[in-house]
Amino acid sequence: MLALKGNRTTPTVAALGLLIGLSGMQVASASDTSGTMRVGDMQYGNGLDLRGWTPMLHPADPDGMSYLHPGMLRTPTGALYPYPPMIDAGKPLGSGDWTYSGLLEFGYLHVGGDRNAEYFRQYDDWKSSAVLGLFALDFNNRQTGSYVDFRGSRVSGNDQFYRLRGGKYGSYRIEGFYRDMPHTVSTSAYPIWNGIGGTDLTLPASLLAGASTPAQVAAVSAAAPRRSIGLVRTRAGLSYEGTLYRNWIGSAAITNEKRSGTRLWGGSMFFNYPFPDNGGVLETVRPIDFRTTDINLSVRNVGKLWHFLATYNGSFFRNHKNHLDFESPFALWNVVGTPQVANIENGQFSLEPNNDYHNIRLDLSRELKGNGQFTIAGAWGTMRQNDALLPPTTCTGTGGIFIAPPVDYTFQCANWNTTGALSQRSANARIDTGLLDARVTFRPTPKFGWHANLRWYREDNKTRYLAYNPLTGQYGYISENGSQGSIVPGETGIFDPTNPLYQSYMVSVRNVPFGYTDTILELATDWQIGRKTSLGVTYTYDHNQPKYRERKRVDDQRIKFDWVSRDVIGATVRLSWEYAKRDGDKYNYDPYAQFFSESLPGYVEPATGVAVHTVADMRKYDLSDRTESKARAIVTYPWGESATLSATFYGNRDNYDALIGRQDTRTTGSTLQWDWQPTPATTMNVYLGAETSRMGISNVADNEALVGADIGQTDPNLGGPLYPYANQWWEFDRERNRNAGLSFSHDFSRVRFDLSYNYTGSLGRVGYDYASLAALAYKGADAAAAVGDGFPDNKYRTNTLDLGMSFSLTRDVGVRVFGRYQTGAFSDWHYAGFNDTLSYDHRIYTDKGGQLHYSASLVGVMLNLKL
Amino acid sequence: MRVISPFLAVVACLMLGTGGLLLMSYGAQAQQAAPAPSGSVPADHVFSHQLSQSDIARMLPATDMGANSTRPHNPHSAAMGDSTATPFDAASIPANPLAPNADPVGAKTCVACHAQENVQASHSLHVASFRAGAANSGPQAACESCHGPGSEHAKDPTAPGKIIAFTHDAKTSPQVQAGVCLSCHAGGARQHWIGSIHQTRDLSCTDCHNPMAKLSPEGVLAKSSINEVCSTCHQDIRAKFNRRSHMPLPEGQMACTDCHNPHGSITKPLLKTDTVNETCYTCHAEKRGPFLFEHAPVRANCLNCHDVHGSNQQTLLVAPIPMLCQQCHTMTRHPNDLQTRAGMGTGPSPDERLMGRGCLSCHTNIHGSNNPSGPKFHK
Repeated sequence: MLALKGNRTTPTVAALGLLIGLSGMQVASASDTSGTMRVGDMQYGNGLDLRGWTPMLHPADPDGMSYLHPGMLRTPTGALYPYPPMIDAGKPLGSGDWTYSGLLEFGYLHVGGDRNAEYFRQYDDWKSSAVLGLFALDFNNRQTGSYVDFRGSRVSGNDQFYRLRGGKYGSYRIEGFYRDMPHTVSTSAYPIWNGIGGTDLTLPASLLAGASTPAQVAAVSAAAPRRSIGLVRTRAGLSYEGTLYRNWIGSAAITNEKRSGTRLWGGSMFFNYPFPDNGGVLETVRPIDFRTTDINLSVRNVGKLWHFLATYNGSFFRNHKNHLDFESPFALWNVVGTPQVANIENGQFSLEPNNDYHNIRLDLSRELKGNGQFTIAGAWGTMRQNDALLPPTTCTGTGGIFIAPPVDYTFQCANWNTTGALSQRSANARIDTGLLDARVTFRPTPKFGWHANLRWYREDNKTRYLAYNPLTGQYGYISENGSQGSIVPGETGIFDPTNPLYQSYMVSVRNVPFGYTDTILELATDWQIGRKTSLGVTYTYDHNQPKYRERKRVDDQRIKFDWVSRDVIGATVRLSWEYAKRDGDKYNYDPYAQFFSESLPGYVEPATGVAVHTVADMRKYDLSDRTESKARAIVTYPWGESATLSATFYGNRDNYDALIGRQDTRTTGSTLQWDWQPTPATTMNVYLGAETSRMGISNVADNEALVGADIGQTDPNLGGPLYPYANQWWEFDRERNRNAGLSFSHDFSRVRFDLSYNYTGSLGRVGYDYASLAALAYKGADAAAAVGDGFPDNKYRTNTLDLGMSFSLTRDVGVRVFGRYQTGAFSDWHYAGFNDTLSYDHRIYTDKGGQLHYSASLVGVMLNLKL
Repeated sequence: MRVISPFLAVVACLMLGTGGLLLMSYGAQAQQAAPAPSGSVPADHVFSHQLSQSDIARMLPATDMGANSTRPHNPHSAAMGDSTATPFDAASIPANPLAPNADPVGAKTCVACHAQENVQASHSLHVASFRAGAANSGPQAACESCHGPGSEHAKDPTAPGKIIAFTHDAKTSPQVQAGVCLSCHAGGARQHWIGSIHQTRDLSCTDCHNPMAKLSPEGVLAKSSINEVCSTCHQDIRAKFNRRSHMPLPEGQMACTDCHNPHGSITKPLLKTDTVNETCYTCHAEKRGPFLFEHAPVRANCLNCHDVHGSNQQTLLVAPIPMLCQQCHTMTRHPNDLQTRAGMGTGPSPDERLMGRGCLSCHTNIHGSNNPSGPKFHK
C-alpha cells in the first residue's frame, strides 16, 4: 500500500503485525482510553443524525434521575444535565451472563427542490433513496465487563459509517471502522476540457490549443454540461488499546484514508488584463487521488508518582496523480509586435508530492510535594519527500521572442523540457522538528497555586535547491509554461551571466528554506478568593526567531487576567482580559537577495538599478509590531429549577504598527442561549448570536512607468518616486454575522414531536479609499466612474426548518416521519456576472459559484425496530 | 519591549523546575511510601467498622419510597452486597477534606436513598466497569470510590460538603472533584490537565462528563454529544461553523475533539499535536510537503490565512482575495493595485486578479510547489 516510488518505508505490515501481536497479549486489570490523544475519528454521524446515535437516546426516562429532588442537577458551572434516556436493560443472550440490545432504523428519504444547491449538500450526499438511519447492536457481559458494540448508518455510498468495537472494561479495547465522508466543492461547474478527474485536460474538438478565439471558447463554455466538483474521504481504521503488563498500557492504531474526486484549480498563461486578446487565465479542474496511512503507537505507565507516556505518530501520504497537464485554447502574441515564434499551448502543474512523517514524543510527569507536578515533554519529528522532479516546462519547439539580431530572447524547449535541465532529479526535501516543553506546577495551599512553563520548538528546513540548468549553463526556470517570455521579451525566467540579454534579470535561483525557533516562557499564578471565586494572572513571553524572514527576532509579551466566580447571584461567570505587545529586531523589508540571481557571480546591475523587492514600509502581519487586547465573558445562569440562561460576550482589538500592510482587526460579538427542560417529556432551546468584525489594510501601487526604465525604481520608500503617497490606498473588510435557533421537543407518550429552526445570516462588505486615482488598477474614465467606495455586499443566508414526529406502534416498533425545508441566498462579487458567462476575453472560468437562491426539502419516513 | 531576556527566562524556569524537584522530592518519596495514595483517605485515619449495615440501615430514613423493592429483577440492583465500598481494582476511596472523619458505609447504604440514581448510574459505562472490576477483585466497588466515605453524609444528608459532590451546589471544590477522577484517570490523554486552560478556569470533569447516567452512548458525556458539550461554553465558536465555509462539524462528521484535547495538552489551544500545522496536516497531509518552494506564512502557521472554525470567504480564508494577499505583497506592477468593482466580471474592466479564485487562478500552488518552475507557485 505504501511502497510507492520506492524510496520509503513500508510500515503498514509492521504496524499490523504489532497490532495483532498486542491484541493477542494477556491483559491485566486497568486501562484507560487515549481517544483524545489522536487526531480525528472522534465523531461518527451524518446529516440525518448529527450525533450518530440520537435514536438510542429517546424517550427520556419519566422517572428522571432521582426520587430525592425534582428535575435534574446541574454541572458545576450551572448547566442542566439532560434527563437520562430510558435504557433497556438488555435481553439475555443464551444462558450465560451476556445480554444484548439493538436498534434498527431504516426507511426512505425523498429530496425535493434545488437538490443540487451547493450549500445544501456541502457535506451531505442527499439522494432520494432508501437510507439506513442507524443500526446499533450492543452485547454486554456485566460479570466480566466484556462488550461488543456495532454502529452503522448509510445515507448513500459516499456518506456512511460503520464501526465495530469490543473489549473488556478496564482491560482492553479493539476497534475497527469504515466511513465515507462527502465534500461538495461546487455544483455549478462547467469545465470546457475533456479528461476531468484525470491528469491530462484536453480541449474538445471544436477548439484548437493555442489557436482559438475568445468567441469560440465562450461558445464551448456556454454549451458545457454542468458538473459537480467534490471529493469523498474514505477512511478505514483498526486500533487496539490495553494493558500490557501491570501499569503499562499500550495502544496501536492504523488508519488508511483515500481521498478521491476533483477540485477547482488554476492555469496561467500570463496576464490578460494588461494585454487585451493576449495571455491566458484558466480555471481548470484537478484530480484528487490521495491515500494517507497513519500509524499511532503509544505506551504509558501511570504510577502514583510518575506518569510516563511515549508516542509515535507516523503519516505516509501518497498522491497517485502527481501532475496536471492542460491545454490552453488561447493564442499568444508578443508585445513588441515581431512575428511570433513561440506557440505555447500546454501547461503543467506539479501536484503535491508523496511525503513521509515521523514523530516520536516522550512525556514524563512527576508528582511533587506541595501538591505539585513537574512535567517534561520532548519530541523529534521529521517530514520528508524525495519525489522525482518534473522538467521546467512541457513546451516543444521554440519559445520566447525574436526581435532582431542580436536581440534574440528565444529559448529551445528541448533544453528545458527534460529532467536533464535540472541541477537535481528529485526534491530531497526535509524538515526536522524538535520540541522541549517543561512545566512545573504547585498548589501549596488550596488558596494559591502557580506554574511555570518553558517551551522550545524548532523547525529546521533542510531542503536546498539551486535552479541551474546544466544543459545551458543558465540559472532560473521557465516562467508560466514559457508564456511570459513569449509575450514580454526577456521575461522568460532565465539568468545567464554569459549572455548580455539575460545577465541583468532578477529571477529566483534558490529555494527559501523557511524555518523558525520558538521559545515560550509562561508564568502563572492563581488565588482562590472565597470558596467560589478565583483570580489568575498569566504572563507569557514568546520569543520567535524566524529564518530567512524580514525579522530575525519577534517578541510577543502578553499578560492575561482571569476571574472566575461560581456564585454571582447564582451564576457562574468567567471573565478574561488579555493584553499583548509584539515587537522585534529591525525589520528588513528585503531579506531575500541571496535567493535571487543578483547574488550570483556575473550578475550585472542594470543602468537603471534593480527594482526594489517591495516597499520599505510594508510590515507583514505575522512579523509586525502589534498591540492586542482581548476580553471574554462567559455567563451561565441557572434560571429556576428547569432552565439555564447562558451568554458569551467577547471582543478583540489588534493594532499593527504598519503604514503598509495589515493595520488593524477588531471583533465584537455576543451569544445568548436559553435552555428549558421542565419535565422529562419537554425540552426547548432558543439561541441568538451576533458578531461584527473589521479588518483594515493599506497598500500602495507602484509607479509602473519607472520599472525597468528609471533609477527611481530603486527607491523603496513610501513617498518616493516608485511608491508615491498619491498611490496609497486603504481597504476594509467588514463582516456582520447573525445566528438564531430554536428547538422544541415534546413527548406525548405515544407520539414525540420535535421541531427546530436555524437561521444564519452573514453580510460582508469590502470598502476602500485611495489617495488619488493613481492607486487604482484602472484609471480610465469608465473604470474610474465605476469605482465607488466598495464592492457589492457579499451575502450568505440560510433558513432551515426541521419537523419530526415519532410514533410508538408497539413497545419495540416505532415510525418516524420527518422533513426539512431549507432556503438559502448567496452572493459573492468574485462571481459577479458568472451566471451570464464564464468567458472574459482570454480568461475562462469553470465555477459559477454558489446558487444565488435555493430552496430544497427532505422528507423521510423511518421504521424503528428495537432488536 | 524586552522586559526579560530569553536566557534569564530559561534559567529562571529551569531553576524553578529543578528546585521544585529537589525540594519536593523528599516529601514525594514520603508520599510514595505511604500506604494511602495522595488524595485518598489519610493514612492516620482508620475507618470505623463498628457500625454494621443493619445499624446504618436503621439510622437512615426510608427515602427510596420502596423503589428498590419494586425492581427485584432489575439486573442493576442485584449486585448490591453488604460490604463497605471497595475499590475498582486500583480505585481508592478518596478523602473528603470537608468531612475528614467520615467512614465508608457501602453502596447498599447509599442506594437505600439513592435508588433512582443507582438505576441510572447502572446504565452508564462508568458503573458498569466498576461492577465488572468488582467481579474480578472482590466485593462491589461503587459510590464511595468517587464520592468519598459516606457516614457523615448519612448522618446529615442535607449538610453540604459531607459527601464529595460534583454538581453546581456542591461545596466540594473543582480541584478536589478533578482529583477524584484523576486518581484513576491520570496520565495518557490527561497527562497535561494540570495547568491547562480548563483546569485553571475552574472547570470540573463533571462540567463535561456525567458518569451517573447514560446521557450519551459513549464517552460518559454531560450532554448527548461531544459538540453539544463543547458548545455549552463555546457558543460563539459553534456559531462560526454555520458560516459559508466550514469543516463538517455541523453535519455531524467531526467533533471538536478531533483537533482539541479538552483534557489538556502542551499547546495553548489544547491541540492534540505539537503545533497548529501538525494538527492540520493530519487530515490535509498533502499540505505537509515539504515542498521545493515554500510559502513563508503557510509553513509558519495555517492560521495566518485560514480561520479554521468557519469563514464567510472561500476555503476558510480570513479575508477576501485579493485583499488577503495584498496584506503582504506590494512589489512592483501587478500585486499592489487597488482593485475595485470596476474589475468585477460585471465591471468595465474585468480583471483576473479579482474574479473567481483571484490571485490563486495563477498562483495556484499557493501552499507550496514542487515544480522547478514554481517559485511563484504558478506551476
